[in-house]
Amino acid sequence: MRNSMVIARREFASYFNSPIAYIFIIVFLLLTGLLFMLNFFLVGQADMRGYFGTLPLLLTFFVPAISMRLWAEDQRQGTFELLMTLPMQPAEVMLGKYLSALGFFAVVLAGSLPIPIMLNVLGNPDNGVMVSGYLGAFLMGALYLSVGIFTSGLMRDQISAFILGVMACLIMWLLGQTFVAAVFDGWVDGLGRMLQQYLGMTSHFEPMLRGVVALGDLVYFLALTTLFLFLNALWLEGRKY
Amino acid sequence: MIEVRDVTKRFGTTVALDRVSFSVDQGSILGFLGPNGAGKSTTMKIITTFLAADSGSVTVGGVDVLEQPLAVRQRLGYLPESVPLYHDMSVDEYLEFVGRARGLDGARLRERLDWCVEACGLRTEYKKRIQELSKGFKQRTGLAQALIHDPDIIILDEPTSGLDPLQIIGIRDLIRSLAGQKTVIFSTHILQEVSPVTDRVVIINEGRVVADGDIGGLTQQAMGDNRVYVTVGAASGEAEAALADLPGITGLKSMKHDGDGSRFEVRAPFAQDLVATVAGLANQHGWPLTELHESRYSLEDTFIELTRAASNKREVA
Repeated sequence: MRNSMVIARREFASYFNSPIAYIFIIVFLLLTGLLFMLNFFLVGQADMRGYFGTLPLLLTFFVPAISMRLWAEDQRQGTFELLMTLPMQPAEVMLGKYLSALGFFAVVLAGSLPIPIMLNVLGNPDNGVMVSGYLGAFLMGALYLSVGIFTSGLMRDQISAFILGVMACLIMWLLGQTFVAAVFDGWVDGLGRMLQQYLGMTSHFEPMLRGVVALGDLVYFLALTTLFLFLNALWLEGRKY
Repeated sequence: MIEVRDVTKRFGTTVALDRVSFSVDQGSILGFLGPNGAGKSTTMKIITTFLAADSGSVTVGGVDVLEQPLAVRQRLGYLPESVPLYHDMSVDEYLEFVGRARGLDGARLRERLDWCVEACGLRTEYKKRIQELSKGFKQRTGLAQALIHDPDIIILDEPTSGLDPLQIIGIRDLIRSLAGQKTVIFSTHILQEVSPVTDRVVIINEGRVVADGDIGGLTQQAMGDNRVYVTVGAASGEAEAALADLPGITGLKSMKHDGDGSRFEVRAPFAQDLVATVAGLANQHGWPLTELHESRYSLEDTFIELTRAASNKREVA
């Protein structure tokens, strides 16, 4: 774990060494904040369901932008060879990189904290529901990041890594949509619903928006995240041959 | 210390390495030579556990690189061909990161940082961002990175590429200063760089080892005969006849003769002291000698001869 933390600290600092990080945070917070505020005054309700509701689709674009550089950048500038000849397991390097991206995502998410504070000032929101919403958003980001770090490894440049990551995340989002599931059900009955249940993300995220944290949903997020990290570790081992 | 045995590596259908074998003793420096694309970097990547060989084995300090890669990496310092630098970091941040990632901490880390900065001449650039450094300082930062954990085995892939002559001398002196305590492999395609640093070379071409030994021995092996050039103030026919009569002569060529004398190229096996023999002959006949020297084979000649011989052999086979 010490090894992973050494890597994570460097990676995390390097996010803030480039102006892209700041641009990213500002664009993300403006966009989500704007979308939320537009509805907020129309609906006039002190909750964040609208805020978290926009995230599944928005994050399919924003999260791969966080993760795209993780391996692709190292491959490009030659530091990949340095990392892979350090006296630590490749999986430890990967975990460090993943944790740094997760940390950066947490910082971005924390940037929205003025919203719950504002809600508490203006009205009397259910803070438990908001906490479970944040938990859901964090888990969703964690899952998308594990997909993104995996696709970053497959590509040598960041742009391809980004596009592949967006596609993969978008597929996970689409599979969770009922209209997509219906199309698959039309071909093979039950297939669409099965994919929606096991791979689609929406059905596991929605309950948390309502304040329901079910064990099954937590297992879903953690298992898929672990799966993609495992695939990434596998790729790091197989690359040598 | 390092044993490479029958290592073969393919990339798709290209054979990058074909049964490569050589070894390096503890405390010695090996120059690893070959034209671009010969397989030098691939070999180094296999020794440093970055790539795995398709077949054959590599052991470092008796430890197999595939079985215990972490134990091997612990002992190795490695400078890859494309210098692995994080351009957004400053030199001190970067070296500290590599030091920590290699398990250094506290006072020991400080001490090693100081040593590396001094040894690699980075004092003036220590606080600069790496992207602002000149090529030479980038290379030195890369070298410092390979030395930070005081490894006993150091693998340097083209450590002097892109440097100016003064910087090359600096790096060369640094490598030479490591001799005795450290085991070093360094690759280059510039031959003049090798002889000031070490005698021991392995030459590789098209994925095969074409020569392995000390530079002097390889020259003899590649060139076959020793050549001596002699100019004597005597009639050309008389001198030629006398030279041809010398024992052990394998070749004699008349180069030119004019008012200054007659010039010859005399060949004989390296084992024979040809210069002394020819000098004795001239003395005996009372010829004035105006020129007498052995041909100085450069490493280039050896290299060209060996790589060409190897290529020809493959074409015939």
